[in-house]
Amino acid sequence: MVEYDPTEYEIAELGPKIKDIDDADELREMLDLEEGGEDRVPVKTLIEDRIEKVEDEGDGEVDPETVDLASLTVADVANMVRDIDDADVLRDLLEREQAGEDRKTAKSQIESRIESVEGSDEEAGEVEYVPPEEKYPELDHPTNDKQWVEGTVGAEYRDMWVYCETQAGALVDVSKEMLGKARGLMDTYNEDYGEDERVVAVLIGADASDHVDDVIAYGADLVIYHEDDRLERFRHQPYSEIFCDMARAGGDLAAEGREEVDWKDYHEPRYTVFPATNNGRDLSALVQGELDSGLASDCSGLYIENAMISNPAKVGTAGDKKEFERVLHMKRPDFSGFEYSTILCIDKPNRDFHPQGASVIPGSFELPDPDFEREAEVVDYEMELDDGWFQVEVEEFDRLSGGVDLTGNDVVVAVGRGIGDDPTTGIELALDLVDAFDEADLGLSRGVITSSYSFDGHVEQYVTEERQIGESGQEVEPDVYIAAGISGAIQHKVGCDESDTIIAINTDLDADIRDFSDYLIEGDLFEVLPRLTEAVEAGDLGAVVGEVSDD
Amino acid sequence: MTDSYEEYEAVVVGCGPGGAAAAANLARNGVETLVLERGVDAGSKNVSGGLIYAEESAPYTIDGLFPDFREEATERPVTENYIHNVAGEKVKTFDIGDLHHHDTAWADSVLRRKMDSWLAQQVHERTRETGGGLLTEVHVTGLLRERGEIVGVTTEELDPIKADLIVAADGVNSELARDAGLMDWEEPEEWFQGVKAVVDVDPAAINERFDVDADDGAAHLFSGDLFDGVRGGGFLYTNESSLSIGTVFHLDSLAEEEAEPHELLDSLLTHPLMAQWLGDEYDEREYSAKLVPDSKKAAHPSPHEDRLVLVGDAAGQMQAQGPIIKGMNHAVTAGALAAEAFADARSRSEPHRAGELYEKKLHDEGVMDKLRPTRYEVFGRLGELGPVDDLSNSVAESAVGRFGVRAASGLLERAYSSPTLVSMIPDTKLPYVTLPTVIAEELGERVEDENTVSPPDLADRIGDLTYDVGDPHIELLDKSFEASGTAVTACPVSAKDFGGGCYRDERVQTNGTEEHLVSLDTQPCVECGTCAVVADTEWEHPAGGKGVEFKQG
Ligand SMILES: Cc1cc2nc3c(=O)[nH]c(=O)nc-3n(C[C@H](O)[C@H](O)[C@H](O)COP(=O)(O)OP(=O)(O)OC[C@H]3O[C@@H](n4cnc5c(N)ncnc54)[C@H](O)[C@@H]3O)c2cc1C
Ligand SMILES: Cc1cc2nc3c(=O)[nH]c(=O)nc-3n(C[C@H](O)[C@H](O)[C@H](O)COP(=O)(O)OP(=O)(O)OC[C@H]3O[C@@H](n4cnc5c(N)ncnc54)[C@H](O)[C@@H]3O)c2cc1C
Ligand code: SF4
Repeated sequence: MVEYDPTEYEIAELGPKIKDIDDADELREMLDLEEGGEDRVPVKTLIEDRIEKVEDEGDGEVDPETVDLASLTVADVANMVRDIDDADVLRDLLEREQAGEDRKTAKSQIESRIESVEGSDEEAGEVEYVPPEEKYPELDHPTNDKQWVEGTVGAEYRDMWVYCETQAGALVDVSKEMLGKARGLMDTYNEDYGEDERVVAVLIGADASDHVDDVIAYGADLVIYHEDDRLERFRHQPYSEIFCDMARAGGDLAAEGREEVDWKDYHEPRYTVFPATNNGRDLSALVQGELDSGLASDCSGLYIENAMISNPAKVGTAGDKKEFERVLHMKRPDFSGFEYSTILCIDKPNRDFHPQGASVIPGSFELPDPDFEREAEVVDYEMELDDGWFQVEVEEFDRLSGGVDLTGNDVVVAVGRGIGDDPTTGIELALDLVDAFDEADLGLSRGVITSSYSFDGHVEQYVTEERQIGESGQEVEPDVYIAAGISGAIQHKVGCDESDTIIAINTDLDADIRDFSDYLIEGDLFEVLPRLTEAVEAGDLGAVVGEVSDD
Repeated sequence: MTDSYEEYEAVVVGCGPGGAAAAANLARNGVETLVLERGVDAGSKNVSGGLIYAEESAPYTIDGLFPDFREEATERPVTENYIHNVAGEKVKTFDIGDLHHHDTAWADSVLRRKMDSWLAQQVHERTRETGGGLLTEVHVTGLLRERGEIVGVTTEELDPIKADLIVAADGVNSELARDAGLMDWEEPEEWFQGVKAVVDVDPAAINERFDVDADDGAAHLFSGDLFDGVRGGGFLYTNESSLSIGTVFHLDSLAEEEAEPHELLDSLLTHPLMAQWLGDEYDEREYSAKLVPDSKKAAHPSPHEDRLVLVGDAAGQMQAQGPIIKGMNHAVTAGALAAEAFADARSRSEPHRAGELYEKKLHDEGVMDKLRPTRYEVFGRLGELGPVDDLSNSVAESAVGRFGVRAASGLLERAYSSPTLVSMIPDTKLPYVTLPTVIAEELGERVEDENTVSPPDLADRIGDLTYDVGDPHIELLDKSFEASGTAVTACPVSAKDFGGGCYRDERVQTNGTEEHLVSLDTQPCVECGTCAVVADTEWEHPAGGKGVEFKQG
């Protein structure tokens, strides 16, 4: 006579069912059924525990006013408070929990119950607005140096602004991807809402004007740029000052002299989009902070829709729902794409949260095809840059991918672990041969680079990964590739086998390099390399190669 | 800050058989479970021989947890079992079907890439249903602690993750077990090294050469003087359209003899006995290697700490039952038991007691006794003491011993087939080398076939593997040959006088004195873990998705 035969249920379903059974005999019967059937250990434990509990509790119910909280698990506490409607009893519980076990999760269960029982009293009441300074008097000053914290309420916002990043004089792909996305979003937006809002491209840098045509081709209706030699490298202060100055031009908070501009008559942008690159992340946070809004960082999806919101902080009235229009939905991956959150940035009754801003992971959107026929308005944005913004100086910089470029040489002389008997001399001899040619450079096998050879100071600088030829190094195709003391592993081969002529020097005639070299000189590189150098200097390489590879 | 970490009820690290079983059983119990795997795909990092056993006495088997397993993820059921005692060209073969069938519901050959990626797909679907899922290309680097207590894991790719249960199913060289101080990588005696070649053979040829039906297969084991006196043996298993041929040696013996693992594998591949199975064409699909724990010495008797439980190889639960290797099945059982323990503890509202319950289950279900048999503790260890071993060796080789072998050949075959006797085998030369050699010399017949196979050299084997090279993941702390030189020979992708491997032997002149050093390039590394034990290194796995990618496994 049991209500549930446990063998017919998964354990996950059984948990909640068993919790509601208070009859020990019924439970015992269930236990027998499980033992005779599936006989799952966790199910049995579940039932046994429940039996223990109902027998212990006698008639069950705990009295919240006297219960020993330490004897309850957090789950028990959660169950218990669900039935309590008296805030005072709850507060008493909270105090006892604080004095006793002080479990964070238990406290939050009780607190949220207090909130919901008290909240129900003032249903439909206005949420009172308290400025942050008053609400948190204990904080030093919550918004200490934010000038615009109370900013604006109900101002006008228009357009989607795209910050178009350039690196080393080139417009980076993600800028084009964002422009393409913005174009699509705003076309639909204008249709849906009967508007005529634009895609605005922002370019800042020493050569900003060079990219104007490009950003138009990729989708901008309006390009605003500011060019200054001091902006050659990204520095966050001047860049964010300029962006914000542009964003505020023609609005209530515009800088002096830019209160009226003929290309913009609204307060600030409706939407802003930045690349989630190192510099773009830096800039986006500062700009959105300064414009007194929020930022959804590292997004991979964007769409514009209306949104029904019930959060009282946004709606102004507890219990109400309100539809917000034209909300930018910003999808961002958590856990490297395993889950997504969608972030919305919505005005409060007493404070606007605009522009709605996002930074976008490079590669998230398709690279659009450029249309160089497109036309757009272009604004050369004039403003003075304060010297104080340039106090941080970039004294030195390194571009990582650059380094030694071995491609484009007529000749590459590469050495491998065959130099092991005297590594310094081996490199010296290879360099002598390099010098004998007009356009030549030194290459290395990986075997040399990862060795523990000790090189003298003057050749040590040559032994770096930048000179590695092969699969995980550079691929070269010179007229002549000289491989001395290199066995010719497949990973090395792919870096050099497109060379016109490959000359190998090896003591071992069976080395793999034999299979893909045009000449294999059998010999000790310490003897052969100097002879090659002499021959080249005498203009007689062919003769030497012919002579030694014959003997 | 800590409050903002992602939290799951359970985090399972590693999606080999141990992790898959744990995750499946957690999901079955409604536990929200996140599974983290460092490979581009589960199985891309894993190597086994491999025969996966379903033991009759085990509380959980892989097909119990994943009903379609045999249909979808295995190669061939193994129905025939032989061991070959080899001395030179003389071979004496015993049928060890009894040992194989003892307590065995079934045993199938598997290739790990196929098997593990199928499991991973199932695991992902099931864990999704309870609010979790499987994430690949995430390398878990260690344990997250709060006030000294283990509460989660840290990773190279994601923010730390907290959980009520952390299952370390991260295999041999478990970084989590090391971080918790439960396992170390110090003693070569506690490990075997397994090396394997997967050889392409047409299915029809397999059926014919092994005299099996299309849905049957064979297992052959090898011991004797094939391996230059290194303690261990060889195996050959039939897959659907390939053969898995490999060797498993005691790491201490391999290190001591300065043997080259790839050469020992070649000794097996080129032995005349193999000719009948390999034919004239030899096409090696993949060369691979991995350390294997020896549960007799390495299985942790109490594999848990705070919220952390260790399962499978991470806990040393790999049983060498004489010549039969059982790691995957125990990983499955342990993983499922750990999950059961957590479900149990959770339904009693005492999730923190999961570890303790898990340990109890390992004992109560008889798993621990298989892993660390008392018989071995008493008899085997004794046999490993020098004088006793020497004595037994000389007795076996003496005329009296040889006479015994001849007189008792029937008995010997039975002895090999006795699970009781093989669990007492001491780790000495006697059972691995001396005895099989004597048996073959006295009882064996000469193999007349000619083996024409010429296996690829090491450079080609490395060249045929797929790598996504990342930052170096092993740091050589002591470059002297004295401290780390053993790795030059013991590393399965390195060798003396070979410049293309990970470890290379170098003599370097500095200020007029010559130093004997080793240098390390981690690019060809197959992540077997050997040098973590035999060299002085700071050893970690590569970042998620980086390093070697096995296509067979
Ligand atoms: C040559 C050889 C032959 C063998 N033969 C057999 C046999 O015939 N039968 C048998 O039963 N056993 C055999 N074994 C042993 C068997 O392979 C192992 O015991 C078994 O794979 C252990 O399973 P596991 O789940 O504990 O670990 P593994 O299968 O090793 O799985 C561990 C998983 O964790 C992942 N991982 C590791 N570290 C991290 C990290 N830090 N972060 C994220 N993920 C991580 C790995 O990528 C891997 O997927 C053999 C082993 C070898 C090497
Ligand atoms: C994923 C991966 C990526 C790799 N990427 C690269 C890469 O990009 N580039 C690369 O180079 N390697 C790469 N390698 C390494 C490659 O496999 C080889 O290990 C390496 O190229 C070997 O270097 P080597 O030829 O100098 O040394 P060895 O193979 O040791 O060859 C030395 C040769 O020198 C000869 N020799 C010895 N003494 C003398 C003498 N006195 N005179 C003349 N000859 C002598 C020997 O006979 C031998 O043939 C990679 C490996 C992997 C696994
Ligand atoms: S370097 Fe170490 S871990 Fe890598 S293959 Fe060699 S021994 Fe194994």
